[in-house]
Amino acid sequence: MSAVATSPRPSRARFLLRHETVLALMLVIALIGLGMFNDRFLTIDNLLNQGRLMTEIGLIALPMTFVIITGGIDVSVGAIVGLCAIVLGYSWKNLGFPLPLATLFAIVVGAAAGLANGLVITRIKVPPIITTIATLTLFRGLAEGVSQAHSVRGYPDWFYFLGQGEVFGVPTQLLILIIAIVVFGVALDRTSFGRTLYAIGSNETAARFSALPVERVKLAAYTLSGLMSGLSAFVLVSRVTTTRSDMGMGYELDAIAAVVLGGTSIFGGSGTIWGTVIGLVMIQLLKNGLALTGVKGDATIVVIGVVLIASVLIASSLQRRRV
Amino acid sequence: MSAEQDTSTPLLEVRGIEKSFPGVRALSGVSFDVRAGEAHALIGENGAGKSTLIKIMSGVFRPDAGSILVEGHERRLATPDDARRAGIATIYQELLLFPELSVAENIFLGHSPRAKGGWIDWRAMRAKAEALLASLDIDDLPPDETVGALSVGNRQRVEILRALSHDARVLIMDEPTAALTEADVTRLFDIVRRLKARGVAIIYISHRLDETFAIADRVTVLRDGAYVGTRLTRETNSGELVQMMVGRRIDNMFPKTEAPIGEPVLETRNLVRRPLTKSISITVRAGEIVGLAGLVGSGRSELAQTVFGVWPAESGEIRLMGEPVTIRSPAEARARGIAYVPEDRGSQGLVRPMSVLHNMSLAALSSLTFASFIDRSAERRLAEQAVGRFGVKTRSLDEVAGRLSGGNQQKIVLGKWLANQPKLLILDEPTRGIDVGAKAEIHRFMGELARAGVAILMISSELPEVLGMSDRVLVMREGRLVAEFDRAAATAQAVGAAMMGDASAAEKAA
Amino acid sequence: MSAIALSGASTTRASFWRRLSSQETLLAVAIIGLAVVVGLVNPRFLGANNLADILLGNAYIAVAAIGMSMIIITGNIDISVGALIGVLATVSGSLAVAGAPIAVTWIAPLLLGVLVMGLQGVIVAYVGIPAIVVTLGMLSILKGGLISVTGGKWITDLPDAFHLADIEIFGFIPMPVAIMVVATIIAAIWMRWWPLGRAIYATGGNPEAARLSGVSPRGTLVMVFVLHGFFAGVAALLFATQLRVIQSTTPSGLEFTIITASVVGGVSILGGVGTVVGSTLAAILIAEITSALVFINVSPFWTHAVQGTLILATVIADIVRRRRRLAGAGR
Repeated sequence: MSAVATSPRPSRARFLLRHETVLALMLVIALIGLGMFNDRFLTIDNLLNQGRLMTEIGLIALPMTFVIITGGIDVSVGAIVGLCAIVLGYSWKNLGFPLPLATLFAIVVGAAAGLANGLVITRIKVPPIITTIATLTLFRGLAEGVSQAHSVRGYPDWFYFLGQGEVFGVPTQLLILIIAIVVFGVALDRTSFGRTLYAIGSNETAARFSALPVERVKLAAYTLSGLMSGLSAFVLVSRVTTTRSDMGMGYELDAIAAVVLGGTSIFGGSGTIWGTVIGLVMIQLLKNGLALTGVKGDATIVVIGVVLIASVLIASSLQRRRV
Repeated sequence: MSAEQDTSTPLLEVRGIEKSFPGVRALSGVSFDVRAGEAHALIGENGAGKSTLIKIMSGVFRPDAGSILVEGHERRLATPDDARRAGIATIYQELLLFPELSVAENIFLGHSPRAKGGWIDWRAMRAKAEALLASLDIDDLPPDETVGALSVGNRQRVEILRALSHDARVLIMDEPTAALTEADVTRLFDIVRRLKARGVAIIYISHRLDETFAIADRVTVLRDGAYVGTRLTRETNSGELVQMMVGRRIDNMFPKTEAPIGEPVLETRNLVRRPLTKSISITVRAGEIVGLAGLVGSGRSELAQTVFGVWPAESGEIRLMGEPVTIRSPAEARARGIAYVPEDRGSQGLVRPMSVLHNMSLAALSSLTFASFIDRSAERRLAEQAVGRFGVKTRSLDEVAGRLSGGNQQKIVLGKWLANQPKLLILDEPTRGIDVGAKAEIHRFMGELARAGVAILMISSELPEVLGMSDRVLVMREGRLVAEFDRAAATAQAVGAAMMGDASAAEKAA
Repeated sequence: MSAIALSGASTTRASFWRRLSSQETLLAVAIIGLAVVVGLVNPRFLGANNLADILLGNAYIAVAAIGMSMIIITGNIDISVGALIGVLATVSGSLAVAGAPIAVTWIAPLLLGVLVMGLQGVIVAYVGIPAIVVTLGMLSILKGGLISVTGGKWITDLPDAFHLADIEIFGFIPMPVAIMVVATIIAAIWMRWWPLGRAIYATGGNPEAARLSGVSPRGTLVMVFVLHGFFAGVAALLFATQLRVIQSTTPSGLEFTIITASVVGGVSILGGVGTVVGSTLAAILIAEITSALVFINVSPFWTHAVQGTLILATVIADIVRRRRRLAGAGR
């Protein structure tokens, strides 16, 4: 007979104050606010379109959550997107791969890039920041070198289904994002892999002493990051019908901002996929709202930058108060 | 030999020092003093309070009660800076140096000699460094050498020079010879003698009795946070000192129940892993509790961590249940039925921000998962069982583990590993920093486990615990096994002497 | 006693040169060696015009790398400097076009650079947010802000007095090169002979020991960011005065080129070691490599790939070397 009260769910009060809940509330308020302010906003068309647009960042933000939970970071994701886009276009156009094979190849290259990151970080033990800064330059450089700044066009019509098509009225890539969200969310929450991620971020030494496969899990996180960047490249190319070497620039900012806004601590050890999703949606809404009020595309990254710094500042001061 | 002492005012004196931490009374009514030109050794078992006392003297801790007097005047040492200004310099075991800077710069950083206008005068710095080196007759340490490339002995010398550059009158050294070679130790003693001749007072914490007699003029013994006594080294002997350090009534606090002892579960033969495991051969049988005694730094944890796969062995053999095995990672160790409860539960044993539930299942995840999915109800059941069995006092399984008391945290670490039903359980300081009630409970569990046939290797620095719980006592010193006692022959005197490396006292006690 | 005076003095001088020059000597040799090799393949590479172009066009990178080196020596990083240089150059140019006195157009970017970087320094040092995150956010604020304000337009009609590059010292040394050399020398001297300069190395080498020695790690960090902002301002001026126009963006990956210069110049990513002489030499070397690629008919689009490989190789070598040294300390 257990002498301990087991509460299977956190108390009601703690639930309400959780970061994700607060964020979700803010999201609802923002939705309503933007809807009142601009009647083009709350239309199904617009919302679905936003869903389409946020997939590319979303696919990257999911494994980025894993990486940041372990206490690391990956700023090379945007460069991997560019590299995979180029590999896709060039292996098809110049090497003559059949397009499906070229696509698969591009995604594999992404995973390989992520694996390279992971190996340098886990085997050679170079800190993740500098590793991914170096590989960022290298991968982008490879993309530029291979493409020589030429773009690839002329993909067959069926190729655009992923980026521009719909299934039962929902944009195709949004469906893929939703599936990915579910898979990643379940993995983080319910598998030993997810549990190990949290342990590594909170106390890597104790994780090692608990016989957890620390190196393997870290390697997997960075490889996933590269793989999903490759998938994101596929979606991107399919949506904009072209391949260029400067694709994916700035994706790392958006992805990290989404993760941090969603409540994941930059120091590791906490965070959820659901939080990242809310962060992602909020950022997309922000962009959309700004665009609808006539603010040009480039200015939105100013706002994202402010959001990133502000959310880290707020999170850190809240953490300090609790401790 | 020491010069004629100035017996008037001690350079540094503490009176009636009291210091407590949550749950632990570190020092009670300790008084101590050191005079100019004297080397005064401070000795005692692990946990006797030596480290706390010197931290109070260096301004890192403030005493709850008592006074500190420097040259007869009462001073408040509220910060390490205050201590430095009072002329007290401390050299810790983890040296605080800048590996990429030169010897001279390390010595003078923060108070470098300046030329006109405030610019650093490198030539003067080098000259002063050379002068300091010469004053201690060190002629093989170039002032421009990068500190990071130096051996431990030389780095320590740099630290000593740094203390001298601040005109320290009192030099406190915490286990200075723990990581030194014999040649370095000789050179250190030479330096100590020179400093004594210059009137510097030296407080010297060490576990090594032979060193105490070699270099110290007086020796003070602490035990369990209390002052036991001070002797002139020329008027005492190691036997008396050991008696002062360990002598206490060993009540039968620990319910040592008999358990049938079976076949060997763990056997190691000439196990080697540099630098601290130097050819160890031990045996632990089913149902047996083997106590592993020794001083801090004797290599006990390292041995345990080699058996557990954290630092895989470089040579030698490990046999489990008679089968030779290689263990290259904790995962392999766990798979073979070995469990290790680490020494530092905060940084190695628990993931403090995680809940009790998650900590409890952390080592057993692979048995709770199906296709990598954690079976949550099985996990909860496992945790409930463990919590109930070990009496973990927590409001709920979802409580953050870091908020529980030390005793309860330790029970979680124990419970987490026992969930795997190991055949060999290695406990590293299982009751350190734990209240008496929880201690007794943990000892009771150990007895139960032994009766159930588990082989237990218990590393402990608390002699009463070692003597009370063990069927056999092994003693390690500097990476080697130096003594073995069965239960009857294991007395505080004998084990203590073996730990300190004092052959004569060991013989006398046997 | 005399043994020290004799052997100490000679080993002193020997080890001084050994320590201070190994990376720098390597770089100098590489710069000359590369010039010779490429010159053999394509003699036009060694033409005075080309060499002048290499130095003139990249002096600003070396200047920016001075501040970046200081930042990395303290164990931090900054990826916002590229965007900052763009902003500061535009500010300066806009002021010049608007008719402000030349002195103002030169001082404004310095002040603004100090402010922006100083703010980041305070956040990193006193709030404890990792530098990578703060500078990532600032990068986008600056980049986005610049584009939305300028709308992508280039600044033309700059007054003649604005163009620093036209000025020549002693009749033949272009101003930017002179500034690069002078700035490097002043910074190197300061970091070696002034206590605050040494505090940078102390903070990066062992913050705890630094604190106990009377150095404030937090204060030093803010100071380093402020200096970095100043040098970014100087670099912006050099960048702005290179051509007759000020472009609306800085070269892509500028911040990473600057980081590469620091790292290849001997600044270790783990902190505590490195020199600005090294980073300036490395900046020259990188510029030389970029130019060399063109002269041996390799497309300039491979520049970033080369840079990325350089920085990756340098960092890996540095980490491996450090780990090996920690494992078995020597004498």
